[in-house]
Amino acid sequence: MHWGTLFDYICKGLDTSAPLAFAALGGVFSEKSGVVNIALEGGMLFSAFSIVWGSIIFHSLWLGLLFAVVIGMAFAAIHAVVTITYKVNQIISGVALNILAEGIARFLSQNIFGQETQSAMNPYSFPSYRGMNVFSLVVIPVAILSWFVLNKTVFGLRLRSVGENPEAADTLGINVTLMRYSGVLISGAMCGLSAAVLYPSRWVSGMTGGRGFIALAAMIFGRWSPIGAVLASLLFGYADAARISFASSIQIPSQFVQMFPYVLAVVVLAGVVGRSRAPAADGVPYEKGED
Amino acid sequence: MKRFNRYALYEVMAPLVGFAASMALLMLIVVAVGENPGNAVDAIWKMTFATSTRTATVLSTSVPLFLAGLAVAFAFRANIFNIGVEGQYFIGGLVGAMAGIYVPLPAFLHIPFVVLAAMIGGALWAAIPAALKVGRGIHEVITTIMFNNIALALVNYLVNGPMSGLGATGSLEPQTRHILPTALFANIDWLFRAAGWNVPDSVYLDYSLPVAVLAGVLVWFILFRLRIGFDLRAVGTSTDVSLYAGIKVAKVQLGAFLFSGALAGLVGLQEIFAVRGYYTFQIASGLGFDGIAIALIGRNSPVGVAFAALLFAFLRQAGYGLQFFTKVPNSVISVITGLMILIIVVSNELVSRYIKALRKKEAM
Repeated sequence: MHWGTLFDYICKGLDTSAPLAFAALGGVFSEKSGVVNIALEGGMLFSAFSIVWGSIIFHSLWLGLLFAVVIGMAFAAIHAVVTITYKVNQIISGVALNILAEGIARFLSQNIFGQETQSAMNPYSFPSYRGMNVFSLVVIPVAILSWFVLNKTVFGLRLRSVGENPEAADTLGINVTLMRYSGVLISGAMCGLSAAVLYPSRWVSGMTGGRGFIALAAMIFGRWSPIGAVLASLLFGYADAARISFASSIQIPSQFVQMFPYVLAVVVLAGVVGRSRAPAADGVPYEKGED
Repeated sequence: MKRFNRYALYEVMAPLVGFAASMALLMLIVVAVGENPGNAVDAIWKMTFATSTRTATVLSTSVPLFLAGLAVAFAFRANIFNIGVEGQYFIGGLVGAMAGIYVPLPAFLHIPFVVLAAMIGGALWAAIPAALKVGRGIHEVITTIMFNNIALALVNYLVNGPMSGLGATGSLEPQTRHILPTALFANIDWLFRAAGWNVPDSVYLDYSLPVAVLAGVLVWFILFRLRIGFDLRAVGTSTDVSLYAGIKVAKVQLGAFLFSGALAGLVGLQEIFAVRGYYTFQIASGLGFDGIAIALIGRNSPVGVAFAALLFAFLRQAGYGLQFFTKVPNSVISVITGLMILIIVVSNELVSRYIKALRKKEAM
């Protein structure tokens, strides 16, 4: 293989990994605090719409990104209110939010851009280097920062403690509700960041194509650790990039190539579990023991 | 007894409140888009209950939705989130269609045969996620979603490749060969006409309707009349307690998961055997996700799921009405559906808190 081709592949792989990695980091924060967030998919999709919309409104990509992050957090806030305050089943809330996100984005697109299935082109975008959106590199400092926050700060310790043993954390005076809200809101902000690398030039209905769920698989494979989640995202991202780069030179039907990342996800999950353990109180609403 | 009725009344209220609130929100959105609410109501009416054709269409639309909801609900009862109904009905439909295309049988055998084949196909597609769940503790939500995507690619390959019927049918769209006439689902509009309801035969009220009714009765019977159903509900209520009680939790969950897949296999029957008469990967998608919402609103009981499926069928037709006769886009229905689920689950929670508080007060 030519070196230039290899280098292109390395860059392209980072590009396809980055949206997964941001979302997987979001999943880590949410689940470490004890809230399963399968609405990452919807959060990414709605944020992807918001970055295009925001950039056009504010005539700035950075303000568009900020807008996407804020929208991502607002969207996650619904999940937080429903699951933490009202203790509704977290999967159900996630399913509802995924339906809602697709609907809102299509509805807004119809009313703003006159088309239900895609937005206008976004004239602002990050520079691209060899097929890679350079914002993809931001995932590296964000991953390190996430690791630091979760493992080396008081906030991180508290966040993890409410995901492992909320009763004990509560007894120690930690505000379980506040910590869980923080975890979920951070996951929303990460969805906003993932929008910046997904495809900031245009929103298209269904453009996330299940990436939010692949990100959850990456999070599990990465054993709920920020670095692990990012490494797992790279695995899936590079598998996907291989599919795109080399599909034409392989003699197998394209549909099998399409299946590859999903089959890989299942195989990887089947192989890893037993060694991978979710936070103990992940998915369990916290009831203060009053009765 | 009187007290019990009052509690039951509160519990029924939550979905009604959710429905009313989401309809109010719908009207707000209609006004925000600059449409006259009167026009919107009129458009919805025209598409849903204005004529017996429309009402029959709502009923027909509800059949696959009911089956999807039933599949999800059955798994829910055993504390399993079968998000894979989507993939299971694509594969179930495929296996059913194979039975209809390649196996020549007399009609009275062929129809039950394809129904059974579809159920087996759906169960097979649920088998690996079920085994991974029970055997290795891998959360079924992730695996079933992966299997949905794998299923879509697989049927796409089969319909374009080995099972392609393009030469045989002369169609330009990728599809399989035609299903043998003995396996096609005929309309049963004569049954409704005999009962005094004037349904035109252009609406698909076919064998899939009695299949759905039978499936609902079967689920009710298993859940509430058989020992296995009792075990299943016990596992759904508390895995720990069930373990102590000596229930083989893994076995029960495996069985529930597979049967849920089998029910999911029935979802595509109407479209494949009554509407199209062949199989394609372009059959309606997204029903599995609708099924989750339907199961939830129907509180995982067959009767509740039937009402919820009718509600969803109504919403879907209402969406077409809005799109057709007003400037409100169809996507508004997704928005309203998402919001309605959230409102219903939150009001469910509020109601159960209220009941808990009432019980506590009465106990004192």
